Amino acid sequence: MTIEGLPLFPVTVVGSWPRTPDLLEALRQRQAGRLSWEDYNKVADEAVLECLKYQDDAGVDIVSDGEQRRDNFYSFVEEKMDGVRLMSLAELMDHVEDKTAFDEQLRSLDAPAFAIHNATVVGKISRRQPLAMDEVEFLRKHTSKPIRIALPGPYLLTRSMWVKGVSDTAYPTLDDLAQDIVQVLREELFEMQEAGVEFVQIDEPVLSNVLFKPDVQERTFMCASMAASSGDPTREMVWALRLMNSVVRGIDGMHLGVHVCRGNWSRKEDSLLNGGYEPMLTYLTSMQLDQLVLEYATPRAGPLSAFEKYAKKREIGLGVVNPRTDDLESPKDVVNLVNEALKYFEPTQIYLNPDCGFGTFAERPMNSAEMAFKKLQIISEAAKELRTTYS
Amino acid sequence: MEEAKLVNGLNVKEFEEAVNQVAEQEGAQKAPKKSRVRWKGGFKFSALVRNHTFLVDEPAHLTGEDEAPNSMEYVLGALGACLATGFVLNASKQGIEIYDMEVVLDASQDNVFTFLGLGGDGHSGFDGITAKLFVKSNQDEATLSKLWDDTVKTSPVGNSMVHVVPIQTEIGVV
Repeated sequence: MTIEGLPLFPVTVVGSWPRTPDLLEALRQRQAGRLSWEDYNKVADEAVLECLKYQDDAGVDIVSDGEQRRDNFYSFVEEKMDGVRLMSLAELMDHVEDKTAFDEQLRSLDAPAFAIHNATVVGKISRRQPLAMDEVEFLRKHTSKPIRIALPGPYLLTRSMWVKGVSDTAYPTLDDLAQDIVQVLREELFEMQEAGVEFVQIDEPVLSNVLFKPDVQERTFMCASMAASSGDPTREMVWALRLMNSVVRGIDGMHLGVHVCRGNWSRKEDSLLNGGYEPMLTYLTSMQLDQLVLEYATPRAGPLSAFEKYAKKREIGLGVVNPRTDDLESPKDVVNLVNEALKYFEPTQIYLNPDCGFGTFAERPMNSAEMAFKKLQIISEAAKELRTTYS
Repeated sequence: MEEAKLVNGLNVKEFEEAVNQVAEQEGAQKAPKKSRVRWKGGFKFSALVRNHTFLVDEPAHLTGEDEAPNSMEYVLGALGACLATGFVLNASKQGIEIYDMEVVLDASQDNVFTFLGLGGDGHSGFDGITAKLFVKSNQDEATLSKLWDDTVKTSPVGNSMVHVVPIQTEIGVV
């Protein structure tokens, strides 16, 4: 469905925004049990307002709360669900089968096991409370613009939260867990639909890992996921497609998009995944969604000609700036990229956004708020020029 | 009665009293250690230290059964644990809270072939080790860096490696 009142080439974000120092400190205190949720939310409210102001000032058309209340883009579900516990990789190391591979991946990230947390299924899951309706309600009170909420996708949640030796008592197989995850996400989407949320972005970054990582059987911390796949990319993509369509079946009245990136944990380009979207487009375009939110600001994403066979089948949330650099793209760069995309999409099918969030992980932001603001301003400037040309 | 103050889970006052008591004993600074290593068949051994035993084995690619680390791996792990212990001790004495920490080590041997009977130059021991501390604490980086440097300088296992340790051996055939 279309979102009313939007200009051509709407400018939007991919969810997360760098946390303020006050919010980070409050997050640490809350996680250590020294700060109540109520007091934490007071600090987070201020941070969301600041984030909204940045977006307003930069000319963003569809705004998010910057995921300011979350520890990261998906592990926050632990606080909203029964049967899930946030476990550090240090704790999980005792349970994983291949400890050496685990250690190697930590070394490649140059990170300690205690610093990375994974929401892990430890019992039967259910929503203790809505996952992101608090974000919706706060945004509604403080902006009249269309809002965008990101939710972790069903494939990501199933793959990342099921850890053999920890989760299999409650769910002997991944499929068993997937059924309950689909149910949880559907409940959430129906509530968002009821609340009139304009745009829901469903995050499935692990899909790029399934296709681009040479050894797909390796556990990986890509986007904090410990996903261990079956080793068969086709089977994984078909399964991800089936799960997504089960989640969104019957949902209408709001814009739905899937976001797939190649990692947003490091500024070292060579440590991030590399490869074009072409191999996954047959699956992504079969998802019953309005939009594909994809990276296109770096050469790692491959060419837009990947859409040759899939032209105009879905909208694109075109990643036009790299959130991980201090180099500023120019409006001209953005316009050029959009002109390339226009070979495969109608002007009404193109939304403009950064490649990914600016602060996917609270403790590991990819940029400062000031730089994120400048990058959004550049997108807005380009959008204005494009609107003049294509209106 | 005043409740004992714990820093990083340690009762520093009690620790210091214990250390002072130990220090009063003659020759305590030498902290003698003993071990008895028994053969369990193949490359497997059981090492006894005080009232503890731990298994030593070789990896499968060297025809061991890989039931436990090998001796060099124990040495590396012991260095990491020793550095970590020292850091916790030094931090706690200064009232510095550690929220979490990890020591990550990498090592290489000069020429393990000399041990495996393949000859060559050099020796079979470690020729380089790196140890990186990851720490989350209530203190600033400069303070923690100094603490880490002091810890490395005073580490018993570290010092056993950087100083030449005379090893006297003999044999008893029964």
